[in-house]
Amino acid sequence: FHRLFILLVHAHFISKMAAVQDGQVDLEVEKKEIKTETSNDGSGNNNANSSSPGSTSLGATSKSPTGPAEDQQTLLAVLQFLKRNKLNESVDILRREAGLSVEIDDSPGSASGGAGSGGASNSTVDGGDTNSLLSRVSIAIPAAPAVTAAPVPPKGLDQPDVNVVLSAYSQQGDPDLYPLYYNGLKKFIESVLDCHRAELSQVFYPLFVHMYLELVYNNHEVEAKQFFEKFSGDQECYYAEDLRILSGMTKKEHMKGNETMLDFRTSKFVLRISRDSYQLLKRHLQERQNNQIWNIIQEHLYIDIFDGMPRSKSQIDAMSGSLAGEAKRDANKTKVFYGLLKEPEIEVPLDDEDEEAENEEGKPKKKKPKKDSMGSKSKKQDPNAPQQTRIPLPELKDSDKLDKIMNMKEAAKKIRLGSDNLPSICFYTFLNAYQGLTAVDITDDSSLIAGGFADSTVRVWSVTPKKLRRVKSAADLSNIDKESDDVLERIMDEKTASESKILYGHSGPVYGISFSPDRNYLLSSSEDGTVRLWSLQTFTCLVGYKGHNYPVWDTQFSPYGYYFVSGGHDRVARLWATDHYQPLRMFAGHLADVTCTRFHPNSNYVATGSADRTIRLWDVLNGNCVRILTGHKGPIHSLAFSPNGKFMASGATDGRVLLWDIGHGLMIGELKGHTDTIYALRFSRDGEILASGSMDNTVKLWDTLKAFDDVELDDFTAATGHIHLPENSQELLLGSYTTKSTPVIHLHFTRRNLLLAAGAYNP
Amino acid sequence: MASPKTVPKDAQVMIQILKDMGITEYEPRVINQMLEFTYRYVTTIIEDAKIYATHAKKNNVDADDIRLAIQCRMDQSFTSPPPRDFLLEVARQKNQTPLPLIKPYTGPRLPPDRYCLTAPNYRLKSIQKKVSSSAGRITVPRLSVGAVSSRPSTPTLGTPSMQSVTTKVGTPVSLSGQRFTVQIPSSQTAASKSSTPSTPTVQNVHINPSLIGSKNILITTNMVSQNLANDSLKRKHEDDDDYDAL
Repeated sequence: FHRLFILLVHAHFISKMAAVQDGQVDLEVEKKEIKTETSNDGSGNNNANSSSPGSTSLGATSKSPTGPAEDQQTLLAVLQFLKRNKLNESVDILRREAGLSVEIDDSPGSASGGAGSGGASNSTVDGGDTNSLLSRVSIAIPAAPAVTAAPVPPKGLDQPDVNVVLSAYSQQGDPDLYPLYYNGLKKFIESVLDCHRAELSQVFYPLFVHMYLELVYNNHEVEAKQFFEKFSGDQECYYAEDLRILSGMTKKEHMKGNETMLDFRTSKFVLRISRDSYQLLKRHLQERQNNQIWNIIQEHLYIDIFDGMPRSKSQIDAMSGSLAGEAKRDANKTKVFYGLLKEPEIEVPLDDEDEEAENEEGKPKKKKPKKDSMGSKSKKQDPNAPQQTRIPLPELKDSDKLDKIMNMKEAAKKIRLGSDNLPSICFYTFLNAYQGLTAVDITDDSSLIAGGFADSTVRVWSVTPKKLRRVKSAADLSNIDKESDDVLERIMDEKTASESKILYGHSGPVYGISFSPDRNYLLSSSEDGTVRLWSLQTFTCLVGYKGHNYPVWDTQFSPYGYYFVSGGHDRVARLWATDHYQPLRMFAGHLADVTCTRFHPNSNYVATGSADRTIRLWDVLNGNCVRILTGHKGPIHSLAFSPNGKFMASGATDGRVLLWDIGHGLMIGELKGHTDTIYALRFSRDGEILASGSMDNTVKLWDTLKAFDDVELDDFTAATGHIHLPENSQELLLGSYTTKSTPVIHLHFTRRNLLLAAGAYNP
Repeated sequence: MASPKTVPKDAQVMIQILKDMGITEYEPRVINQMLEFTYRYVTTIIEDAKIYATHAKKNNVDADDIRLAIQCRMDQSFTSPPPRDFLLEVARQKNQTPLPLIKPYTGPRLPPDRYCLTAPNYRLKSIQKKVSSSAGRITVPRLSVGAVSSRPSTPTLGTPSMQSVTTKVGTPVSLSGQRFTVQIPSSQTAASKSSTPSTPTVQNVHINPSLIGSKNILITTNMVSQNLANDSLKRKHEDDDDYDAL
């Protein structure tokens, strides 16, 4: 791989020389984007080894899939090109250095110039991850002398899988031939056996997009357009959105602005193909002149081969749809502690019916009786639950203990729901919001509702007759009798009592709202890039957390308070603590905006749904991505964990609700029924019913007991992740309730299992 | 939507663009907003390009100038989020540090005060004003209405030696008292933050008894000599300082 490094460096050098030839020396280095950069001193072969500020970071662990023979080939191609353009000096240098062996590993040349990659990309980056080097020498149309060598941003996978690839386009062939290659492959795939055809058809979409992007990137606009017109109609219907975006990108400059497409271009699209089908494909492509497609496939696709039966079309359709293909099997193999943390022992004052509660060691009766691990009320550690001290959690204060006692008392009076006993639904309609209602949250004890609006305000209402009061001012507080029993009432200023309070502070629409579990704080995230913490005692803003510089789409407090997570347009989700002004963890890996962030009930994991149509589960302890779940065909807007922590439900713009088993990382259910984006999902308090609310003005109730019962997991499916989903959405649908033209954007089960829903009236 | 005959050409083009990008439902205002944006963007670029062309001592604006103008604008207003490898690297570094332990029983867990928004965002100007010999000049009282004193209200009439208003700025954590001073110039009525009624124009040292009502208000007045010429200037200056950010 050292040779590859040389080649890379020379690629930069070539670009620079060519640029100098044309009299343009691009002096500026784009800070944010890593693109063609040339160093300022446009001279000499020093540059070949000096830091080309192109954020090229060599993973020391890079292993290249191409053997030395291919390196030689590329080298020769480069030499030829140089000769052709009469860059004799560089030819000599290249020749000389190609003869050099390899101590270049630590050379400064590998330093990352670009401010873009920060201090990070040293060649000392180890197994940690993820920085691989992709560089392309693009050969311009012979007429145009300008050579733009574009070091494509180093691709980082969030798993330590590093590939170094260098491709010279002289091997990729003539742009005019691309349609022919594609057609050839199409004909081949149509001719194979049925069982293999479905699997091999997965290749079409990524191949099409990559070929198109290559044409655009190399400025073959006309050919790109023709290619697109000819073959875009063949692709699967669920890629329609992507194709529309692609159709708008016909020039290289268009690509530069679109981070998602750039990431797509540099990351590997993952396909799962059975060994037999793969052999077929490989054999076909390696014969004759189909090398070009083979090269493209090798470069851009990651084929995860499994042994076994080829999958059927429906199986494939269920799992595909995301921007990066499916997930590799080993992406979902890490052990996830999905169990719940043990509740602390609380002495419950003996009431009439509370004797039981005491015996349970303070465990609320929320556990599904089915769970064998939870069935025993013993003190033994659940093997699937994380250690109590795995992540630091705030200790319980007295007020928290009181809350818990209240919780248990309420839980005792909870209605048992089931397919024969549906919950009542109480709908809170926001009138006169003029489509400005963008986020809603309800406290756990259902006493407060907060709404975030497009006019940048946050409003809090009291659901109960009890009004909202501010705490008295400091002067008055020193006057009150601190020893009295009702001191908590006395600190409140009666004069400020009102039904609702308005919180001003943001400078953009408020897209995410979350109450803290102890009802003292409210978080709001907005398009202005900040997350604000408001006090619900004084109804003023306490802190503004700045970190995302782009709209923050969602935020949520942890179930135990203190931590909160936020996700936004910059494609990362961040974990914060209320007393740190900078995030504690950054969860980077998504290819597009993070649209939905949720904590697991045990606060050790965070799930993020994204516009790249995948859901990722992150470990709070070390920031690793432990699960990648694909299958949605549109950006994901709602996530919900079941109360026992084992399962997750997700809803997206495609109108489907998908059910996932977190432990295995498999899709176990698909609920079809909604016709528009699903913005609200909530499990009932015991997890027997899943409620979903959508833009199609309906709330639907689904029977999750049945859905989770039906799952049969044998070893094969657990290993390969190929579930055959029964088409039983109709049986699982327990009820569908339509509102009067009010899209449902929030759902909440009260402690007694009454379902509250919220939305803005939209006539 | 207006019939095609009456829709201007630019709007028709915009409608077509929206259609091509797959947007089928939109309010009619959207077209206007898009056209406004287009106009503003293009004129900004062209103006920038003109500046660059004159800087390069060229007579005409050519494509290079436009290109440079676009480039600079892109870096300024239309930044895109950081690239993936950068994010991954930063994330890797940040995720290496272990989660900090939580100190027990520390009250509200907030970042250091410097990073919070809980500090008072106003500063009281000292109300000591030099009192020139005011024989024959109109003295106009300036009423400072300050809330939150430690003692409930007896209104005190200040003499030229100023009564120091106790500025009790409470603890930063959100329980700070609210102080404000309101100046009542002779010819205007002051806008008072509290619920007190606006005072009528006061020519001499009268206090409107209704101001005394609320427990929270400590009223002090002081004599300030002003001559009419300075009045307006001083008032403006002090108005700025004394009106608190509400």
